[in-house]
Amino acid sequence: MIHRYKNNGYNIVLDVNSGSVHVVDDVTYDVLPLFEEGKGKEEIVDSLKAQYGVSDIEESVEEIQQLKADGVLFTEDIYQQYIKDFKKRKTVVKAMCLHIAHDCNLACKYCFAEEGEYHGRRALMSYEVGKKALDFLIENSGNRVNLEVDFFGGEPLMNWDVVKRLVEYGRSREEECNKKFRFTLTTNGVLLNDEIMEFANREMANVVLSLDGRKEVNDTMRPFRNGKGSYDLIVPKFQKFAKQREELGLSYYIRGTFTRDNLDFSEDIKHFADLGFRQMSIEPVVGQPEEPYAIREEDLPKIMEEYDKLAVELLKRKKEGRGVNFFHFMIDLEQGPCVAKRLSGCGSGTEYLAVTPWGDFYPCHQFVGNEEFLMGNVDQGITRTDLQDEFKLCNVYAKPKCRDCFARYYCSGGCAANAFQFHGSITDAYDIGCEMQKKRVECAIMMKAAEAEEEEIS
Amino acid sequence: MKHVKTLSTRNLKNTMVTGGCGECQTSCQSACKTSCTVGNQSCENQK
Repeated sequence: MIHRYKNNGYNIVLDVNSGSVHVVDDVTYDVLPLFEEGKGKEEIVDSLKAQYGVSDIEESVEEIQQLKADGVLFTEDIYQQYIKDFKKRKTVVKAMCLHIAHDCNLACKYCFAEEGEYHGRRALMSYEVGKKALDFLIENSGNRVNLEVDFFGGEPLMNWDVVKRLVEYGRSREEECNKKFRFTLTTNGVLLNDEIMEFANREMANVVLSLDGRKEVNDTMRPFRNGKGSYDLIVPKFQKFAKQREELGLSYYIRGTFTRDNLDFSEDIKHFADLGFRQMSIEPVVGQPEEPYAIREEDLPKIMEEYDKLAVELLKRKKEGRGVNFFHFMIDLEQGPCVAKRLSGCGSGTEYLAVTPWGDFYPCHQFVGNEEFLMGNVDQGITRTDLQDEFKLCNVYAKPKCRDCFARYYCSGGCAANAFQFHGSITDAYDIGCEMQKKRVECAIMMKAAEAEEEEIS
Repeated sequence: MKHVKTLSTRNLKNTMVTGGCGECQTSCQSACKTSCTVGNQSCENQK
């Protein structure tokens, strides 16, 4: 299977099953579908000789044949049984999303957690519950060394003391258990101060800082409970924090959400860059179709255009020596994940669990509050092994919509929570999300082609 | 080649032998939290 497309003046051919990427000229671009149909050289020449010279067409066919023989074009999908066997392995847990606080000091309009409360009551995680969660993670992580713990909410800084104590506890067990914790923090920044920054710079492998972009965009969607916007309070703190982390060589992401109110979100990315941020992400909101801010199918052409515009802008900035890193256009062609990782799904409900303030387990943070998905708790462990098995079987090959999709090796079958929200099944796919994901992969690959060309010239 | 330029990529087929160690980052722990993006991550064993 191949995927060919034109973007920013490049003819790109992705050999889906090997992951190879080719930039081809016009004649090859037109030869490829005929070759794929099984036509021979003469037939292809006959079909295209009105547009191209015969020797060019013949050479092109020969090059395609060579690439096919080399295993980098029209390669077969040989992974189905491999993934099935891979997923049958004993499950280990290696990542946790700790809901340190089901409470929030902002009232973001699109919040899937309903202002931090997840359709339930306000609550803070106690140290004892958090400690049991870390113990569970250590005990159930088999021989995995790297363990990830994200302090999430609600707003985790509303329970900062527990965060600090849990980091300390985790660190104290690393050596005896031969584990290495990678702590991360996702925060809205309202309570951020020097002490917290200093601690996070010492202990957190990554921090995700929520901000939506331009002041008016951010303040419309991310107000305080009294309706006042949060931009003015948060931005200076994030700038300071980001600068510190850059100087220390530490990771951070400014993370925004775009809605149908700011479909011109490339302006928000530019705004982040102009504020001095270098690592950023902006994601489409996921909301019920009746919500006024939700992305609709009719918005897709504008969103596609916006991603294209953004890709060109980011290439331009990089060339000018002021490049920034946009999370969704990052792609690692040379050292990316193995095929097992790419096809086995995000790990929710198996190697990744969310833990509520009172210690309940859910497949991921987006399922929290839906009792149907309550999997167990820190005292009893996983009690719903049937759910665990269901998530275990959820991989690219279990999803009919992914079978013919070129992007399946990049999204791993997409988000199970989104699929459930829109279709009531974790083996379905959220179609609008898929279209955007495909576009982002196309842009990311185009940027790699452009950068390779740039390197060749220089 | 005259008509095709191939970018340097890691052949996925070859990763069947060496892959699957599971030490890499869980995708939702990175910067997204609302979608699933694995293609942009790096292999822990290649670092």
